[in-house]
Amino acid sequence: MNRVNMATVASNFNPREIDNTADIPGRRAQLVTGNQTYSSITNMVCRVAEDPQPLLWYVLFGFSSLTAVMFLSLIGYLILNGVGIWGNMNPVFWAWPIVNFVFWVGIAHAGTLISAILFLFRQNWRTSINRASEAMTIFAVVCAGIYPGIHVGRAWLAFWLLPYPSLNLWMWPQFRSPLLWDVFAVGTYASTSLVFWYMGMIPDIATYRDRSKSPLRRMVYGLLCLGWTGSSRHWLVYEKAYTLLAALAAPLVLSVHTVVSFDFAVSQVAGWHTTIFPPYFVAGAIFSGFAMVVTLLVPSRAIYKLENLITLRHLENMNKIILATGTLVGLAYATEAYIAWYSMNQYEGFTFLNRQFGPYWWAYWTMVSCNVISPQLFWFKKLRTSLFWMVVICVFVNIGMWFERFVITVTSLSRDFLPSSWGYFRPTMYDGLMLFGSFGIFMSLYLLFCRFLPIIAMSEVKGILSIANHEAHAHDESHGQAH
Amino acid sequence: MSEHKPRKSNEVKMPKAFGWMAEYADEQNLLVAARKVRDSGYTQTDAFTPFPVHGIDEALGIKPTILPFIVLCAGFTGLITALLMQWWTNGVDYKYIISGKPFGITPASIPVAFELTILFSAFTTFLGMIFLNKLPRFSNPVFTNPRFDRATDDRFFLYVNAADKYYNRESVKELLAGTHPDSLDEVLDDSTPSTLPRPIVLGALLLVLTGLIPAMIVLNMRASFSTLPRLHVFFDMDFQPKKKAQQTTTVFADGRSMRPQVKGTVGRGQLTEQDPFYLGYDPSKLSADDAFTNVKYVSANASQDPASKDPASTAVPATPAQTAPPQGAATPAPVLNLPWVDKLPASIVEEGNIEANMKLGKLKFETYCAACHGYGGFGDGLVHKRADALAQGYWLPPTSMHIDRVRAQPVGQIFHTITKGQGKMSSYASSLNPAERWAVVLYVKALQRSRNANIEDVPVDSRSALDNELNAEPTK
Amino acid sequence: MNLNYEKASIELPASWKALTPVLAFAGVSCLIVGAFCFLFLAPSVEGDKTLAFRYLTHSYLANFIYILTFAIGALFFILIQFLTRAGWSSSIRRLAEIMMMMIPYLSVLFVPVLALLFVNSAELYEWNAKEAPNSVIAAKTKVFLFKEFFAIRSVLYFAIWTMIATWFFRISRAQDESGDTDLSLVRQKWAGPMIMLFALTLSFAAFDWVMSIDADWYSTIFGVYLFAGSMMAFFGMMVIISISLQNAGKMQKWITVEHFHDMGKFMFGFVMFWSYIAFSQLVLIWYANIPEETFWYDVRLKDNWQYLSYGLIAFHFAIPFLGLISRHVRRHRTGLLFWSIWILVAHWLDMTFLILPNAGPATTFPLIGHLFGGVGMLCIFAALFILRASGVPLVAMRDPRLPEAMKYANPIL
Repeated sequence: MNRVNMATVASNFNPREIDNTADIPGRRAQLVTGNQTYSSITNMVCRVAEDPQPLLWYVLFGFSSLTAVMFLSLIGYLILNGVGIWGNMNPVFWAWPIVNFVFWVGIAHAGTLISAILFLFRQNWRTSINRASEAMTIFAVVCAGIYPGIHVGRAWLAFWLLPYPSLNLWMWPQFRSPLLWDVFAVGTYASTSLVFWYMGMIPDIATYRDRSKSPLRRMVYGLLCLGWTGSSRHWLVYEKAYTLLAALAAPLVLSVHTVVSFDFAVSQVAGWHTTIFPPYFVAGAIFSGFAMVVTLLVPSRAIYKLENLITLRHLENMNKIILATGTLVGLAYATEAYIAWYSMNQYEGFTFLNRQFGPYWWAYWTMVSCNVISPQLFWFKKLRTSLFWMVVICVFVNIGMWFERFVITVTSLSRDFLPSSWGYFRPTMYDGLMLFGSFGIFMSLYLLFCRFLPIIAMSEVKGILSIANHEAHAHDESHGQAH
Repeated sequence: MSEHKPRKSNEVKMPKAFGWMAEYADEQNLLVAARKVRDSGYTQTDAFTPFPVHGIDEALGIKPTILPFIVLCAGFTGLITALLMQWWTNGVDYKYIISGKPFGITPASIPVAFELTILFSAFTTFLGMIFLNKLPRFSNPVFTNPRFDRATDDRFFLYVNAADKYYNRESVKELLAGTHPDSLDEVLDDSTPSTLPRPIVLGALLLVLTGLIPAMIVLNMRASFSTLPRLHVFFDMDFQPKKKAQQTTTVFADGRSMRPQVKGTVGRGQLTEQDPFYLGYDPSKLSADDAFTNVKYVSANASQDPASKDPASTAVPATPAQTAPPQGAATPAPVLNLPWVDKLPASIVEEGNIEANMKLGKLKFETYCAACHGYGGFGDGLVHKRADALAQGYWLPPTSMHIDRVRAQPVGQIFHTITKGQGKMSSYASSLNPAERWAVVLYVKALQRSRNANIEDVPVDSRSALDNELNAEPTK
Repeated sequence: MNLNYEKASIELPASWKALTPVLAFAGVSCLIVGAFCFLFLAPSVEGDKTLAFRYLTHSYLANFIYILTFAIGALFFILIQFLTRAGWSSSIRRLAEIMMMMIPYLSVLFVPVLALLFVNSAELYEWNAKEAPNSVIAAKTKVFLFKEFFAIRSVLYFAIWTMIATWFFRISRAQDESGDTDLSLVRQKWAGPMIMLFALTLSFAAFDWVMSIDADWYSTIFGVYLFAGSMMAFFGMMVIISISLQNAGKMQKWITVEHFHDMGKFMFGFVMFWSYIAFSQLVLIWYANIPEETFWYDVRLKDNWQYLSYGLIAFHFAIPFLGLISRHVRRHRTGLLFWSIWILVAHWLDMTFLILPNAGPATTFPLIGHLFGGVGMLCIFAALFILRASGVPLVAMRDPRLPEAMKYANPIL
């Protein structure tokens, strides 16, 4: 088969005409559309990094890298001047930066969830979207990690968080503090996700290597893929390792936001100390992470013409998960509010009334309308299969999830047990710019990833295609004959 | 089998051959061919595919990997490491009480234990995969065939290695040709140089060395001490734009950063500054001469080491008549000479209050003073007894209140002593408010009087009872 | 894929049907023996007469919740299978459907609990006392925890579950007749809203029936805790029923080693999920150390209950975790059967841990009585299962996804 011809066939095909979201019971709808072959998949994905990037890429990258530079300069300014440039005040000591940290860590949950948990549940549709989501996970963790790092005040001493034997300090970190659990949880998550992501990419980088025309590209990709040949003996160990990593990453991904929730929930602050926090935070994290994945994938697939691989069915499935987790989050809000009332605990009761009708009422109702009400629109198939509406709703979800963390952190702290110390937190310009700037880091890294690395797990999609072909063969009862 | 050896020696100029490689268009053909090769008895075989082909392990006879077992061991190692680390650091080596939580392994140890279990397992999984697959391997003879580039794209290759003990060049070729491959090539040795180009080696070396720098810095910091003041890379709050006492400024014409009080204003607490009730002396009677003596007194106090000071030399009586410098002193010690109040304030001793104040004075005296001065005021409190018993040599016994010097002190001076402290005795102004201090003075005066009373001091109707008591004691 | 079958191979074994009265009789007698232990042996041997009835009520509720959780787990399983358009479970789904259809039967066993409230007994639910023990409970009894409202809510939970179960079961049976694929689609469509309703009712049922025994205490995660244990126990029960049927010569073709493997994985997963939820609840309460919450654990860490509480860590988490970690065990019928029985016992201990310590200290005769009660309830459950399964084909033969269930294979893990 001629490669060039296949590529033309693939690009001439208009994927919008195919709707693979309908599912007749007993016959699975196609996961990749457009009569793909192994080589057409390779072409379609490799084209993203091999062809010159579209103008839009340069515009976006220019904008986001400038934003990232602004963010980094602001960090320098912060280190020189101290955290006083933020709006953090007494009693809201944990304010905007922690909100941003939890926000980004939450986003970081989708990637590993898609690659690990959906893998364990044999959800084959994950193959087209897992790579980009994993990359997004890593980049979101990078953004998340920055905030506690610069929030410690003396950022250059942040390594004191690690338990290393020191002659000068005569001290060890405090392992009974949930903040240190965070260091371990986020550290483990970041490194394990990185390994998972990289290991998944090895075979695809080998494909990039074998298609490279320039010796430099060939050498760099060759080094990155460790000399991968596609040997079946290697594949066997590789698949086992991948499965083991998935089995390890699945509880890990749950543990990370659980530990983040412990930061709040082990305290006695009303509105923080509630036992449903761990699963509720995890559901919220998946919710926001999937919303971010959809927000990124819809434009990505359009720009790189990947509609045959990332089909409407993939997006619809993700929207369904957004709907499910959004409803779970709503259930958690309701449970919290109900127990606050049921417990007849005056502090809990006050906190919830304060959230809803206190000075931060606007944040609470933004959160509820974005997180609970807006995903309910996904009950309608029209909306969850409409590219426009899904992006709109997902953006709302991300706004809502940011506000959720704001509501939890700020409202509880601003009015705690001691009314004489109550206050009203107001962010400064630097708070706002640094939230905006983190998106610059995130987008720059994502755009670089699209530019240089395989954004779709080709080998996995081919594996799924192989099974599908095999089943089709079996259906035609032509199985067993060579050709 | 053994035939290929002489053949190889005959073809010295040919690159070394590693085996045969057959190419197929889809995985079904590959599986069929693989089974055929396996059934012919070859074990040194391999297949190269763009994705994991299911059933190929069975078709080639590949054994399952031991990776899961290694990972399980690593997981346990991580778990035990985490638990031991937390137990040692927070339970043994550096015990630090935080919110009343116990030391050692508690529910709070579980999250870190879990994370390290996962961390160890995950990295073992990845590194184990690399290790078991003998990666990275950049120079591989299979790459010499340009068609092989498509092994990561859409082609499927079956490979029989020449290292197989049943290997025979011709028969393997025949066998593979019988599986209808799309191509069949011999895998030849890579003729390109196998050493890495020098710039790459240098670059890698440089990268590794640069990567070591942070570790070296940390190592250095860990093992060295410094007595130098720290480098102010970041100013933190060490240098603040503010004026401290006794500094100059350009803001004011007189150049002083400390400002005098604005005329006609009263500061907080200043109203009491002129009241004998709060001072123990009457400031309005303070003469310039007194002021001079006091300056001397203060400077003498400042120059002397308080520990080596004889209490008698500082706690000098107020009036010149009672001045008794210790024998042997080279120069007379300066005297604190102020216009002392010599009567207890009226509010303390007026009819309705005096009894309550006496009780208050007793209570406060026994709370704050008796520890050193003793309940009777003889300077024999528990602290003194303990210090005496230790016999350390540098203990200054507390002053007895019944020596003449103290007895002669006006009430104002006793009040002043309580307020400001004297010698080793510190100020009790923070523990006792002025009224309580006056009550203590009242009680001290009563104690003194009780040691030097005569019969006139006893109420008339009690005198006979006293007489009886005295007579009843034969020894007296 | 060959879907031919003999009708007899997907019916309940005749010997089982004959066993029904025996099981029912055994169940009732066990309950009676249990009650005897509580009411006569315990007071006469151990002396404390006031606690006798208290133990009985708590034990009854614990054992009732124990068998109810199998049916609740089955209901959730059916809903989630349709929600996710799962194919693998098609051949074992009918067994779960039968189990979920036991909810209306089991609801009858809840009548004694309601009756207890309406004779104004505060032995089980302290908030039902004439004088509330403290002002917080008094406030709750005014607005939420009073017997009429409690009864309405309980009836509502059973009604909703029965409604969902019956509707799904009816459609499933209708599909047996017609083979209409639209019947799969309609269930798929409604699984979403129904699962919302299920989550809401299960949470509140857990709060009402179990958490309110300690009317002072509250924990927002409590519904999830009960759910986690239920799912684990449900998969254990499924494995036991499947293996028993196969041992009786039925269902041989329809439940493959892959199904056992998957059920084993779910069991393993829910062992971990339960541990996660239980640990989350424990560590938050332990760390914050607020007396309003810690007393719940305090009750469970004294009077010999501490052996049960600490034992759960090993019995409900560590041992089954290590036991089920290997795929060889999950694919081995006898091994899996062993761990399923283990898990049913562990779940029973968990229900005991939740409810019984509130009755009083752990002493010999009440525990023996409780054990008899548990065995009795299991016998009744078995009898009801056979009753419900009679005349129903054990495989949804015309499910369009059945072929998928017969040919799938577990990859690596």
